Amino acid sequence: MDIFETPLPGVGVRYEFTAESGDRVGIVVRRDGKRDIGIYDREDPDDCTGTLELSEGDASALAELLGGTNITARLESLRHTVEGLAIEWITMPGHGGLTNRTIGDGHIRTATSASIVAVIRDEVGVPGPGPNFELQAGDTVLVMGSEHAVGQARQILIG
Amino acid sequence: MLETGSVSALRLVAAGPEGTSEILVELGIVLLVLAMLGRLAARLGIPSIPLYLLAGLMLGEGGLIPLDAGEEFLAVGAQIGVVLLLLLLGLEYSPQDLQHGLKTTWFAGLVDGFANGLPGFLLGILMGWSVTASLLLAGVTYISSSGIIARLLGDFERYTNRETPVILSILVMEDIVMAVFLPIMAVLLVGASLSQGAVAAAVAITLVAAAFFVSFKFSRHVSAAVHSRSRELLLLSVLGLTFLVAGLAEAAQVSAAVGAFLLGLTLSGQVADDVRDLMPPLRDVFGGIFFVFFGVTIDPRDLLPVLLPALGLAVVTAATKIATGMWAARRAGIGSKGQWRTGVSLVPRGEFSIVIAGLGIAAGVQPQLGPLAAAYVLILAFSGSLMMRYAAKLGPPSRWLPARASTR
Repeated sequence: MDIFETPLPGVGVRYEFTAESGDRVGIVVRRDGKRDIGIYDREDPDDCTGTLELSEGDASALAELLGGTNITARLESLRHTVEGLAIEWITMPGHGGLTNRTIGDGHIRTATSASIVAVIRDEVGVPGPGPNFELQAGDTVLVMGSEHAVGQARQILIG
Repeated sequence: MLETGSVSALRLVAAGPEGTSEILVELGIVLLVLAMLGRLAARLGIPSIPLYLLAGLMLGEGGLIPLDAGEEFLAVGAQIGVVLLLLLLGLEYSPQDLQHGLKTTWFAGLVDGFANGLPGFLLGILMGWSVTASLLLAGVTYISSSGIIARLLGDFERYTNRETPVILSILVMEDIVMAVFLPIMAVLLVGASLSQGAVAAAVAITLVAAAFFVSFKFSRHVSAAVHSRSRELLLLSVLGLTFLVAGLAEAAQVSAAVGAFLLGLTLSGQVADDVRDLMPPLRDVFGGIFFVFFGVTIDPRDLLPVLLPALGLAVVTAATKIATGMWAARRAGIGSKGQWRTGVSLVPRGEFSIVIAGLGIAAGVQPQLGPLAAAYVLILAFSGSLMMRYAAKLGPPSRWLPARASTR
């Protein structure tokens, strides 16, 4: 799918794509975080039949609803913080990040100093997975380290 | 130092100098009138700028309620208004926006400048004005109101439309031209001869270019130095820096407004975001005072003789704006309805036409410039925004005819 990007000086950025149904969709990401979603008129291809204005929070909620599997990812991503120590459960996304790659590929230990303590797959725990352990979509990864390191590790894991 | 300051402040409160109460009362009236008109404009769905101008006309000399005690304060407030108006305009754009704008829209900007500046210039010459005064009028007719247009595009939910980038990039181009036009005019207004003016204009352009360079290169450092987590400290630093830069620019005859605009461009990142959150109410209050003050300096009785030229100019430049907008949109591959919307959207003139005319009034260049600009902006700010609302919805004139025929 081709997504066209046009800068809107003073406002933000406008993205546009054609859906498989033929409907053309435009999304404006404003600098203040608001999003406008518009569906273009079939008679007048430059005008929208209606627009939807979303706050940043609305937009991420909508994205999760549209994304389906990501909802569970968000719900299962829990972080516990003890003074100086953070533990987080991270669910692997459908694709991207380290999904279908090995733990060693992420260089999490060397890059962030956080460690992967265990992986939970199909409700079975795998404690202390090695660098050759290949992560799959839906795996829950237990990461431990400093608050900052865990955040970075999360970035590497989910991409 | 602090103690003497607070003591004199106390004295001011206890027994104010002669006239303090009048100044406060007049200022109170002005601000309340602005508040009422702002509400009215919001209810009617029209921009508030022309209403503020009208209020100024009624409050000034020859108007219904003549003001005099607070005029000095209003004059300073108006100056602050211009500076804040341009500071926030500069903040709206990142250097990347400008770079992109210059690269993609310079030709459209050139056409826009000629098509819309020329009618103003010619009318000035026809009325026997000096070249400088005619050039100022060219500026008045050239520049669309980015304030009114961007606001209405948001109100009418047209940000997602495909022609909107065309409209916005033309507005950016106009604002860039302003940054060069204003200092040249400022120089022409003081420098008498054309050759002197040319040299001084070259200096002004070099200064602007240098400021652009600084804003590209050192934006991050300046922004980091100004930034603070405390809203109070951030506001103080930004306002302080703005007034300082604006004042120095004015002293160097580059015009305070341009100094503020360039500073706005220089600030970026977190500072720009925070200031954009913090400053608009302040700008709107002082900007309102600026429009009122502009109206106050004009005697409404002077409007009548210039009404006809203003009307003619409004009709001609509305047409030329629509034509340039449609041309630019067609070049960008926009369909006929979108071309029409682009053209109509560029019609409103507002704040910057007044800023340019204000420059001429301050220099006393041509007594008719103020009334003519006021009448012109009143006409086009109202009719332009109405056209944006209704004409844009109805579609291009070529579509009205068959539609009418079919309903009969």
